[in-house]
Amino acid sequence: MTMIEQFVERAEAVSAKVVRVRSGTEADAVVARERERAGVSGFSVDVIHAARGIASTGTCVVEADEEATRLATLVPEVSVIVLRTSDLVPDLPDLAPFLRERQSAGCATCTSFITGPSRTADIERVSAVGVHGPLELTIILVED
Amino acid sequence: MNTSSSRVYHREIAEALDDTFLRRTLDRFAVEYRESRDRVFREVDGPSLIRAIADMKDAAARDLESLYTRFKSEAEARGAVVHRAETAAEACAIIARIAAGNNVKRIVKSKSMTAEEIGLNAHLEKSGIEVQETDLGEWIVQLRHEGPSHMVMPAIHLSRGQVADEFEKATGEKQDHEDVQRLVKVARRELRPKFFEADMGITGANFCIAETGTVTIVTNEGNGSLVNTLPPVHVVLAGLDKLVPSLDDVLSALRVLPRNATSQRLTAYTTFLSGTVPCTKAPGGRKILHIVFLDNGRSRVARDPLFAQVFRCVRCGACANVCPVFRLVGGHRMGHVYIGAIGLVLTYLFHDRAIAKQLCQNCVGCGACKEVCSGGIDLPALIQEIRARFAQEDGSPLPSKLAAFAMGDRRLFHKLLGFMRFAQKPVAGKDGFIRHLPLALYGRQGFKSLPAFAPKPFRALWAEVKPVVEKPRLKVALFAGCAQDFVYPEHLLAALKVFAAGGVAVEFPVDQTCCGLPLTMLGEAKTAERVARQNIKAFAEDCDAIVTLCASCASHLKHGYLRMLGAEAESFSAKVMDFSSFVHKYLPPEVLPFTRRTEKVAYHASCHLCKALGVREAPRALLRRAVEYVPSNEEESCCGFGGTFSAKFPEISAELMRKKLANVAASGASRLALDCPGCAMQLKGGADRAGLPVAVSHIAEVLAESL
Repeated sequence: MTMIEQFVERAEAVSAKVVRVRSGTEADAVVARERERAGVSGFSVDVIHAARGIASTGTCVVEADEEATRLATLVPEVSVIVLRTSDLVPDLPDLAPFLRERQSAGCATCTSFITGPSRTADIERVSAVGVHGPLELTIILVED
Repeated sequence: MNTSSSRVYHREIAEALDDTFLRRTLDRFAVEYRESRDRVFREVDGPSLIRAIADMKDAAARDLESLYTRFKSEAEARGAVVHRAETAAEACAIIARIAAGNNVKRIVKSKSMTAEEIGLNAHLEKSGIEVQETDLGEWIVQLRHEGPSHMVMPAIHLSRGQVADEFEKATGEKQDHEDVQRLVKVARRELRPKFFEADMGITGANFCIAETGTVTIVTNEGNGSLVNTLPPVHVVLAGLDKLVPSLDDVLSALRVLPRNATSQRLTAYTTFLSGTVPCTKAPGGRKILHIVFLDNGRSRVARDPLFAQVFRCVRCGACANVCPVFRLVGGHRMGHVYIGAIGLVLTYLFHDRAIAKQLCQNCVGCGACKEVCSGGIDLPALIQEIRARFAQEDGSPLPSKLAAFAMGDRRLFHKLLGFMRFAQKPVAGKDGFIRHLPLALYGRQGFKSLPAFAPKPFRALWAEVKPVVEKPRLKVALFAGCAQDFVYPEHLLAALKVFAAGGVAVEFPVDQTCCGLPLTMLGEAKTAERVARQNIKAFAEDCDAIVTLCASCASHLKHGYLRMLGAEAESFSAKVMDFSSFVHKYLPPEVLPFTRRTEKVAYHASCHLCKALGVREAPRALLRRAVEYVPSNEEESCCGFGGTFSAKFPEISAELMRKKLANVAASGASRLALDCPGCAMQLKGGADRAGLPVAVSHIAEVLAESL
């Protein structure tokens, strides 16, 4: 299995929707479609960019220093994250250089690992998505 | 658990056992957790990752002060303020001061076991501050004014109907009593405004990285991120045990924590927060960030040669998930603030010793927790040590003293056992059970028939049964163990037949005595050591292996002796083998061909064999050679005997036994094989009392019949 295939499989396993595209233009088209679709349900959509992706866990790694970015991963019903395949790493330990560089700069940072939409199993262990955060997570995977 | 009274504790246990919802939920959870955990662990090298967490956290405990200093300077360089509280009260006071200093009226909180430990909510509410729990499960238990019953799933003890009732009271609106998805949306709707209104957010921390002053928070619901994003002030409360040296340590530990906690590869949100990030509502546009480290005994524990390993705990809750007692009685009776095996230990270290004393008795000692612990903590040994310390502090109770006195002297001990055999004569039946006693005399022990002493112990039979083996292939020394020597000599006689058929010569050193495990369990450490030395001396003569048919003796002779005596026990312990492993290894089919019979035999994996010694394949392989082995559900679940446990908690012991026997009965087997006379007493007695048509035998007996 390639890293891309693994990422898609693992992200989908945690109820994320993965759309694979070949260009920025295609990505924009997907975003427009998502907005349209969400609009029908009265859902809000926020779009952000991931700095890295983790194949083994289906995770998007977001540089969330800015409050707006953090809120975009939490507040809307539908969260859209754009991730480039060239930013995928195989597993968690491979992120160390990236994180270290960010955090060693001496300034304040927040890095969010997002793995599927928000979820809970707190009532009778029944799995439910969209507790406090987004109900849906769409990952636009741009193959570059 | 809120009480130290034994009577009240037993009443609470009885109530829990009658709670059919709780029982059904925890039963299903126990089975599903094992399966889903196995599935996600197949993708990683679990044992190496767990070892790495253990080593990293052990080092962190040693370097605690330098890690704290480094963290403080790195975090403060990035705008945070770092505090250190010696006690729970001090931590509460620091956080209350931060609240007052920022004119805080409303607080939103995400789940923090450390906050539970210090009673933070109650303290803040006293100063008139509104504290809102935002984790769904925590909110539910907050509405009910109770504590969490699990470290990861705080409301696991409640049904959707109970949750709906609480939500109706909280919202004043009618709620759906069936649809969990709708109930979850109630939390979303009700709590969303609270995040925006709050003046301060409080979170816990999963890791505090010294290298960069970074706090790592692992959550699923998104409430944790909202709590640390929206309010202008963020307070992180973390135990000193959360300090780790580097980013790499966390990235590696994150491959275990979610897998072990919830069978996830990673949780929905894992946040790395370093310093004061931009925040619109904060004065100056930067978040006000306070990080409060709690000591509350941790720096003392970090220096304790044995208990320092609790620093390895990452609060995944796995020790509760696999605990057979938790499964029956739930977290409110198997913990105080912290739940499960680690909860028992932390209650002793951080909380109420009277409560800990009560709780630590309620461990069956099966070792399931140790096997799944994220940090490889030897939880059963810690719980055992706590019991021993209580025994020493209190002075031994009379029964322990008597046991130590009698067992410390082999001749006296064996004479006493002989006398008991004589004394039971009027009540012993011919079938090996005590038959002629009115049931009323059994009291709470009535769930199983009690075994009678054998007419002649094995040691008295030895001279007449000693097999003569011409040109033996191997020579073993047999360690009989009290239960088989005096109650079930037939196990040993069957083993002699198997050995003889396989060309193995047997010696029975007559100076051997009790392995000493009961003494260790009673906290009689000194006598336990004396007895161990006696056995090592008795087995001084050369042999290829020291074989025992008792899984409990085997694990104690192999591991317990090393723990107690170190190098002095090394060569002895190295030679000890359980019967199944010995036969499987040294008597393969070409050496000892069994005549395979069609009898359907199920297998009970004794805790001391499968969990303590890791012996899994040998007994099953032997059964496949000798009979038709039928697998049954939960073969590795505890039978409930646990030595003195079955006497202290008969209500729990009986339930564990019933579950085990029900699984065996469902397999369609006509016989149950096992590797331990303790389990045999429990299951043989239980099957007899229930009139179950399943014979219970030692695996040696099953094999001997197939020779």
